[in-house]
Amino acid sequence: MSEGIHKSVLSLRSRTSASPALVLAVLFHATVFGAALILPRLFDHAPPLRTPIIAHMVALGRPRDPHLLPRKESPPPAASASAKTAPSLKPSPAPSRPEPSRRELMERALAHAAGKTTPEPREAPDPERAGSTTGSAEGTAATAEEGDAYFTAVHDAILENYVVPSVISERERLYLAASVVAFIGGDGRILKHEFQKKSGNTFFDQALETAIQKTKLPPPPADLARSLRDSGVVLNFRP
Amino acid sequence: MILLLASLLLAADRPVIDLSGGRVQAYPLAIAKPLGAQEIGTAVEAVLAQDFERSGLFKLLDPASFLASPEEGFLEVDFSKWQAVGAQALVKASCDVSGAEVKCDMRLYDASRGQELLHGTYTAPRQAPRLAAHRFGDDVVRFYTREPGVFQTRIAWVRETENGKQIVTADWDAFGAQALTTASINLLPAWSHDGSALAFTSFRDGGGAHVYAVEVATRQIRPLVMTGDFATGASWSPDGGRLVYSGSANDNTDVFLARADGGGAKRITDSRGIDISASWNPDGKRIAFVSERAGTPQIYVMNADGSGVRRLTFQGNYNQEPAWSPKGDLIAFSGRDEHRVFDLYTITVDGGRVTRLTQNQGTNEKPAWAPNGRYLLFSSTRSGKRQLWLSQPDGSNQRQITNEDLGASDPAWGPLPGK
Repeated sequence: MSEGIHKSVLSLRSRTSASPALVLAVLFHATVFGAALILPRLFDHAPPLRTPIIAHMVALGRPRDPHLLPRKESPPPAASASAKTAPSLKPSPAPSRPEPSRRELMERALAHAAGKTTPEPREAPDPERAGSTTGSAEGTAATAEEGDAYFTAVHDAILENYVVPSVISERERLYLAASVVAFIGGDGRILKHEFQKKSGNTFFDQALETAIQKTKLPPPPADLARSLRDSGVVLNFRP
Repeated sequence: MILLLASLLLAADRPVIDLSGGRVQAYPLAIAKPLGAQEIGTAVEAVLAQDFERSGLFKLLDPASFLASPEEGFLEVDFSKWQAVGAQALVKASCDVSGAEVKCDMRLYDASRGQELLHGTYTAPRQAPRLAAHRFGDDVVRFYTREPGVFQTRIAWVRETENGKQIVTADWDAFGAQALTTASINLLPAWSHDGSALAFTSFRDGGGAHVYAVEVATRQIRPLVMTGDFATGASWSPDGGRLVYSGSANDNTDVFLARADGGGAKRITDSRGIDISASWNPDGKRIAFVSERAGTPQIYVMNADGSGVRRLTFQGNYNQEPAWSPKGDLIAFSGRDEHRVFDLYTITVDGGRVTRLTQNQGTNEKPAWAPNGRYLLFSSTRSGKRQLWLSQPDGSNQRQITNEDLGASDPAWGPLPGK
């Protein structure tokens, strides 16, 4: 038998001499996989919670005697038009509505299709409230945490488009929750979004996607731009 | 491998934003012009539109804005045209007459995804195609909310007439009202658990108010409670096995519990003040009522055997007419505020948190819950004569339901069909 055959990779001796490298390779891969599994958990226990502080504002006014029945928290619903055109007890045709011109209707439809619908007016903020010029209309804190200004803007912009369909029952609204990761480009565009956790209600999840797609964000500050583009921001939605 | 590791590390460092308090908005729904028999289709479309609009769940889109062809059938739906007018839900129907029946093929679509969600054939007597519309409407509500709809339910109220006050029943939208009584003063109707009868208070015997029952199908009236100086405000338990009412003897008014036929009555309250207006909770184990035992009328709750009495309202000095929600969590009542006007409120059974539903809109009284707990009927003078109004439990979406010449009061909402 020639020497060449003795050194063949198929021979037992050759395989034995290659094992340290193989073991090292296996160990290296195992270490990398282990690190991939364990390290995120080590870092995961305290994610930076960029939560704009939201609290219920107390309206200006005199304190109400606790022994009296409460006033309504919002303006009373206006007596609907049906008060004047109440249905008779006979079969009625389709409910009467104001009749805008066909052109107005078309313009409205096109504006809606283009996402230009007028958002519902929100109550004007209390002019005497302490805060920041970049603060949230819903916020009540007088000062902001460091770095939260941009996330407050993100919060407000998404909230502006965040609509919960009324067909979701009040009972179900108590338990619905969904998480979406949004990746934000340098120009403020939402590059993509993906559900981390769906709510289980199609109409709620659909409404969240619509809100995210409609939202226009300001460009992120330079120190956040890269992480928002590459790793995104988690949006935790509750009704 | 390195990239995978890096992405996992980046994911762990993501900032988090919590969002809650989205605006609750009615779901935009389009009802396409029904195909087939035009007269029937028009009637079905009108009933569907009214049901959906009054439900407060949907925002009906104006048919004049529709871009899709009126002839568009079921198979080639151009969803982009429905999306363009803002529709998220789309209803299409095709109705035809077959002998003494109408047959409607009705479908619900998710307009934004272009999917069919519901599809069914609904039949009804030719004279009443609205029944098919109500049934499909209830199916749509159940599909979205996972709760039963109320479009097939019946309501009752007291109609003011020149000859007194009469008990009337009608569909949930007050259509087809029929009087069940013809003379005397009749008040406070309350449905039996299966909707076949109504208990009511009447002065028909001439000797003071007592409790009677009327069969809805035959209008046959029978006495239920004829004992004491008077008996009033009767209500059958949710399982139909018991009757609770207020009775007076020897100048003292208390709550009594009896068998469903009024027999075997037992007093379950015993205070010197007036105890009236008993209302069952959904499982029939507890009762809300009004008592003056603390000096002013207030809402109390107790076990159905009279034990465990607990005062529930502490705000205001005149709270009355409790109505326990079918969901069990709220009691609606009317209360008189410092302006000496009665308005509607709800109070949480456990926490005692009071929410006001009406304000500065006439006198609002006698709340009655829909059997699914989604709506309240009540009487209001805001449009002139006292009429019945519909509201959601938070006070939103209030709409006038009746238009009686001399007035309507004392609403009662019947059970869900099939109970």
